[in-house]
Amino acid sequence: MRTWARLSIVAAVVVAGACERRAAGCSGDYCGTLVMAAVGEPPTLLPTSTEEVVARDIAEQLFLKLADVGMSTNTIGDEDFQPLLAERWEWDGPLTLVFHLDPRARWHDGMPVTAADVAFTFVAYTDSSVASPFRSAVRRLASVTQRDSLTAVFRFRERYPEMFYDAVYHMRILPKHLLLSVERSQWRTAPFGRAPVGNGPYRFVSWRAAQAVELAADSTFFLGRPRIARLIWRFTPDMQVAISQLIADQADVREQLATPENIARARAAQQLALHPYPGNTYGYLGFNLTANGDSGSPHPIFGDREVRRALTMAVDRARLLRSVFGDFAKVPPGPMSTLLWIWDPEIRQLPYDTVQAARSLSARGWRDRDGDGVRDRDGQPLAFRVLIPSTSQIRRQYARLLQEQYRLVGVRVEIDEVEPSVVGERVSGGRYDAVILARVNDPTPSSGVPQSWTVGGRSNYSRYRNLAFDRLVDRATSASTREQAQPAWRAAMELINADAPGVFLFALDNVAAIHSRVDDVRIRPDSWAALLRTWRIPSDRLIDRDRVGR
Amino acid sequence: MAWLVRRIAASIAIVFAVVTITFFLIRLAHGKPFIPGGDQAVDPAVIAVLEEQYGADKPSHIQYIAFLRQLTRGNLGQSFALQRPVADALAEAIPNTLILTGAALLLDFLLGLGLGVYQALRVNRLPDVVLGNTTLFIYSFPTFWLGLILLLVFGEWLHWFPIGGKTDPVLCPAVDSFRCTLDLMHHLVLPALTLGVVGAAGTARFQRAAMLEVARQDFIRTARAKGAPERRVVLRHQLRNALLTFITRFGLAFPFLLTGAVLTETIFAWPGMGRIATEAILRRDYPVVTAVALVASAMVVAGNLVADLLLAAADPRLRSASADVT
Amino acid sequence: MTLPEWMALAAALLITRWIMAALRRRYGRFFRHPTAGWATALLVFLSVLAVAAPLVAPFPYWLQIDIVRLKNHPPSWTYLLGTDLYSRDVWSRLIYGARISLAIGALGMLVALTVGTVVGAVAGYYRRWVDAVLMRGVDIGLALPRIFILLMAIALWERLPIGVLVLVIGLTSWFGTSRLVRAEVLSLRERDFVSAARAVGAGPARVIFAHVLPNAAAPIIVSAALGVGNVLLLEAGLSFLGIGLPPPQPSWGNMIADGQHTLLHAPWTTLFPGLAIALVVMALNSVADALRDALDPREEST
Repeated sequence: MRTWARLSIVAAVVVAGACERRAAGCSGDYCGTLVMAAVGEPPTLLPTSTEEVVARDIAEQLFLKLADVGMSTNTIGDEDFQPLLAERWEWDGPLTLVFHLDPRARWHDGMPVTAADVAFTFVAYTDSSVASPFRSAVRRLASVTQRDSLTAVFRFRERYPEMFYDAVYHMRILPKHLLLSVERSQWRTAPFGRAPVGNGPYRFVSWRAAQAVELAADSTFFLGRPRIARLIWRFTPDMQVAISQLIADQADVREQLATPENIARARAAQQLALHPYPGNTYGYLGFNLTANGDSGSPHPIFGDREVRRALTMAVDRARLLRSVFGDFAKVPPGPMSTLLWIWDPEIRQLPYDTVQAARSLSARGWRDRDGDGVRDRDGQPLAFRVLIPSTSQIRRQYARLLQEQYRLVGVRVEIDEVEPSVVGERVSGGRYDAVILARVNDPTPSSGVPQSWTVGGRSNYSRYRNLAFDRLVDRATSASTREQAQPAWRAAMELINADAPGVFLFALDNVAAIHSRVDDVRIRPDSWAALLRTWRIPSDRLIDRDRVGR
Repeated sequence: MAWLVRRIAASIAIVFAVVTITFFLIRLAHGKPFIPGGDQAVDPAVIAVLEEQYGADKPSHIQYIAFLRQLTRGNLGQSFALQRPVADALAEAIPNTLILTGAALLLDFLLGLGLGVYQALRVNRLPDVVLGNTTLFIYSFPTFWLGLILLLVFGEWLHWFPIGGKTDPVLCPAVDSFRCTLDLMHHLVLPALTLGVVGAAGTARFQRAAMLEVARQDFIRTARAKGAPERRVVLRHQLRNALLTFITRFGLAFPFLLTGAVLTETIFAWPGMGRIATEAILRRDYPVVTAVALVASAMVVAGNLVADLLLAAADPRLRSASADVT
Repeated sequence: MTLPEWMALAAALLITRWIMAALRRRYGRFFRHPTAGWATALLVFLSVLAVAAPLVAPFPYWLQIDIVRLKNHPPSWTYLLGTDLYSRDVWSRLIYGARISLAIGALGMLVALTVGTVVGAVAGYYRRWVDAVLMRGVDIGLALPRIFILLMAIALWERLPIGVLVLVIGLTSWFGTSRLVRAEVLSLRERDFVSAARAVGAGPARVIFAHVLPNAAAPIIVSAALGVGNVLLLEAGLSFLGIGLPPPQPSWGNMIADGQHTLLHAPWTTLFPGLAIALVVMALNSVADALRDALDPREEST
């Protein structure tokens, strides 16, 4: 045992020594290696074919959009959008948008980026056999055609405030000359997705499965050479291990720390700097308003608006939040993340009031008649099951805290921890009582809110149905400025809060931990890695990791 | 020879049965492939297209026939979740799992053998009692718990070893292969220790008992009576005999190591088969689950077979018996 | 911890002492093993604690004392082993957890033992095709890593009642036992006393249960003692993968699993249940060793 330990220490020293000797490599302004500690691994890097966050972060470096939202994340109109592949654009009538591509843009194999690529990309995103998860995001576009090699024409089906956003935000332009020959139904598994050729600031270098993806700066990038030479995404299945890598200085970036314990650890590590930014995720306990497994009839407990309101008032959301997140999250004033501009703490919500909650439960006939500590009515206990994915630490924690909160007002909660795919199957099929979900918002409320809470919304898993709410949302999404939209959004949020289809528990405030030698860190809240090409490592702060050259 | 042929045929039949059972069992499980966890919107049209493209919309028995047909051509199909051929994913993962389990086995046997022999030589004296209880204590650890503690102490606190992964992605493959190998060994220490040490404790106990058993037998007494020096007697006779029982354990140890590897690979972010298997089950990635069952059972059966062959080679008397015992 | 709980704890120790003294008088030979005494005492003590959990535990296992201020509180006189992520008292949960963990261990082992013994005995007794069929089944079971079988078996249930968990664990743990029993039976069935029993017309069931199995008891009992430990470890491993008892029910396994995310901040939340498992498994190993010695006829002379 002792001998073995000694041997391994010797081995460690040898390795460490070997590393230092080889520290010549790179010097100057365009140096540096940035290692991201990523949780999970994307299945492909082809942007049409995956929704994974890590895939998006990498794709931000490889594939450009025509234009992108600015730091304000204003999605209405086109004033706040930054040109990328398109150097400029103009409107040609109410339904036609013309993009002029930057003539300097090149694919990493040297071919120019053309309008044919743009038209091809649109067809790919909308082709049903590609089965892109973003297909519905571009449903209001009618066509994209090529006017000449550098001019692409977008035609819309209707006129609305976020036309420009829809045209550019979800589509990353793909190389027609490399993908044309790939059968559309094979795109998900195309070898291109594991060795992509892009047009962005970084070139693809290698992907070792379950280990890492490496990118290298494209020194000829037309919008300016990226300052950091190498980017490496390290894949780790477990968040705690990813954070340990960061703390032990084996990685440079972790864009989310999630718990106050992790933040405390990162703060104690001297080489790290913390960067807070608004989060795009909110979590809630969603009630199924229709009976478990039968969307035709109301749920025996949650069908009753008064009971739902009582169950909302019974939860001390602020206290739960403090227990789970400390100061790094907020209680959302409705179904929204802190990223959304409609965020407003003044929006009216139900108060935390256990007395009122108990009173209205009793008033609706739920009393503890048999003395077992659980309220009942017609011989049925006031009990329900909460569904959560076993893989989410935060939600496991919330479920246990809620269970105890509800016990105090005589409601019995049982927790079903199941695999994420089972959660997905059951909520989309309406076979559940209650569920804790975490929703990720696009930078606009106009896509998430209708999708999750209006009649016919594809992820309205609560089966929430209030036509007055739908009308308000409709009015809000069709307003042409934020000032006009704001009162409608507020009224809609107050209405949904009063109806209580769920208990809105937390909205994340993200904190990124980034090695302090990195300068000019700019994080766009909707996509933290979008501006990575402007980050830099000053030449006098390089460490060993930065000098390992190819 | 006929015995060997029969043994191999039986092994193939076992693997086939395991694969068949797995194939149908995983399709009976709740949850469907392609459905994201409840947080995202589920587009039924997209899911229908995907199910059709992968043939997952057909009844299980039709899928089974298609699977067998592909299998005879050496094709394991496309993974739903990894979005690549199953064979590619496994071809990359299996060597990694073999490196890890190989290192763990080596550690298990060398350490276990050494300790066991040492203890047997000093039976019931202080070192034996201390070591006996220590190994027993280690033997009783949950593997993943030991892993987490090792990671914490030697990785995060002492910085002696890297935290997770197979190699440092900054160094490899950017530097030459010699340093990459060193780096790999550096990364291997903690997971191999986690996986191997618990086994070593078991092996040590086993080896000690086996040697004491042999010591009671007549031929050792005879050798001793002939006046051969104590140490020689022990090392020659006892060791050789004990090794026989030891080889049997090799076949048995294999499935346990694979089980341990599932947890160890997750903790240490080791890019092996165990990690793929857990993910595949969680995400209902049917083709990968089936393929992992195929590979894992083939490895176990092969391990058993090799152990039997070694045993037969070492001791011809056992040739007929071992066909029965295993 | 307040005075009554300390007194209950002391009482538990006294009861353990008393049971141990009784056992020692009755089974002297067993206690000749160097650590068997300690091991049995530990097991008895834990069993007493488990049975008397409501008296000994200072807090209910589900009580979240103060989720903001007492989260991950280090061990103190009030919270003997500290508190966990949900501000629950670790010591109380450890005691209640003993109930469930020991019960799962014992019941799971019992299932495994029963199935394993019956299959092994039947296969060994009848031989020929019965043996071939059963043993190939065992081969199949052994050919897959058990955690893999369990993960799949558990995917079949939407939620897992404790009974099913025990059954699933038990039904995947009997393969080794059946081989062991079969080997014993194979060697016993040719002995004179078995032939004699058959000659006087005893049926197969009677021969197996009345004549063969009692003589194969030693290895079965030893493997049972080891089996409990394996089940405990397995339950812990499953909890680590997120499969196990419904919260807030504590078991040592899910206590470790719950605590793994705060290993750094609150090592006590995983350390103590981990030690509890290690100690029980260790004790059972010792007991198995001692049993082996005590039941081994060859040891008689020494």
